Amino acid sequence: MKSNEPSYNEKYKQLEEVIESLQSTDTDLDSAVAKYEKGMSLIADLEKYLKEAENKITKIKAAKSK
Amino acid sequence: MKDEFASVKFFGTVNQLPGPLEDGILLKVKGVPFLHPQYGFSINVQFMTPVGEGSIKRAAQLLELKLTKEGLFDETRKRTLSYPPAKVGLVTSVGSAAYHDFIKILAERWVGIEIEAVDVQVQGDIAPNQIVSALDSFNTAKDPVDVIVLIRGGGSADDLSAFNTELVTRSVATSRIPTLVAIGHEVDISLAEKAADKRGSTPTHAAEFLAPDKRQVLTALEQIKLQMVRALSDKLDNSKTSLTDAGLDLNKAWESYFEGRKQSITEHKRLLEILSPLNALKRGYAIVRQSGNVVLSGKKLKTNDELAIELADAQLVTTVKNIKLK
Repeated sequence: MKSNEPSYNEKYKQLEEVIESLQSTDTDLDSAVAKYEKGMSLIADLEKYLKEAENKITKIKAAKSK
Repeated sequence: MKDEFASVKFFGTVNQLPGPLEDGILLKVKGVPFLHPQYGFSINVQFMTPVGEGSIKRAAQLLELKLTKEGLFDETRKRTLSYPPAKVGLVTSVGSAAYHDFIKILAERWVGIEIEAVDVQVQGDIAPNQIVSALDSFNTAKDPVDVIVLIRGGGSADDLSAFNTELVTRSVATSRIPTLVAIGHEVDISLAEKAADKRGSTPTHAAEFLAPDKRQVLTALEQIKLQMVRALSDKLDNSKTSLTDAGLDLNKAWESYFEGRKQSITEHKRLLEILSPLNALKRGYAIVRQSGNVVLSGKKLKTNDELAIELADAQLVTTVKNIKLK
C-alpha cells in the first residue's frame, strides 16, 4: 500500500464494518450489494498487500561507547 | 599478594558496579593501574563484571532481590505490545544467527513492518553500555518505534552476563517504549527478560509474539469471503420471499376487488330487471302512446284519436271510440 493509501489496519477495520452491516437486518438489498462489492475489493487489497509487501530494514551502527 | 593485610584500592563510580556484591563473588575488573608515592598502588576501574558461573549466578540473585524489592519485575508494570507493530526497534548483533532468525520469521509472518536494527555487541565489556545507548536512542527518537526488541542467541552464563547487569535491566524496565526481550537459553531467565513487558524464549519466539501469521490471516480472509457471499445470498433469499409474498398479496387484493365488482354488477342487473317496464308488459300491462308520448291520463284524449299500444310481444295501433273518465 502506498503511503497515501489507508493502512492494512484501517482497511481491515473497514472490512469488519462492511461485514457487520452486510449481516444487519437493517441493510436493504441495494446497499448490501454495494457493501459486498466494497468488501470483496477490500479483501483483494489486503491479500495483495500480504502477498507482495515486505518488511523494511534499516541497519544502524551502535553508538561508540567506552 | 604476599602480605595478607595489604589491599589494593579500586576507584570507580557506583554505576560501574554490576549490582549488589558480597564476599566470595569473583569479579573481572578492567582498569588503569596507578602508583602513588604515598598511597601506593591503586586501580581506576573502567569496567567490572562477575565471572564464573557461580559468581554470575550469585550476583544476579542479589541484584534480582534488590530490583524485585523495587518492583521492577512486577506483573502490573507489564504493558501490551502493538500487534502487529508498524515500527520495531531491534537491538541485537546484526548478522548474528539470532538476528537472521528473527528477521526471517518476522518476514514469514507479516509484512510492512519497519525495522530499525541497531547493531550492538551482545557480550563483552562494552555490551551493557551499547545496549543501554540503543534503548535510550529509541526512547528519545522523534519518530518513536512501537516496540523495542532486544535479542541474542544462547551462550554461556559469561556470554549472557550483559543481560543480568543492573544497567541493562534498569534500562529495559524504565523504557517508555514497550519492550520484548528474548535471550536464547533454556535454564535461567535473565533479569533483562524479567524486566521486559514481554519475554520470548528465543529470537524466533519473539518474532512469533510480535505479529500474526499472514498465512492464517489469508485463510481467514477466504472465510470472510464465504461469510459475505452467504450474507448476500441470505439477503437475496429474503428479498425474493418478500417479493413473492408481495405478489401473492397483490393477487389476493385483485381477486377480492374483482369479486366485489362482480357481485355489485349482478345486484344492479337484478334491480334493473325488477324495475324494467318490459317485465310489467310480460305481466299483462301495456304502454299507451299518442304521437310517441306516453299517455298517463284520459283527460286530454278525444274520440277518434289515434293511439299506439305496446304489449310485451306486439305493437297495436287503435282509435279511441269512447272516453269515460274515472
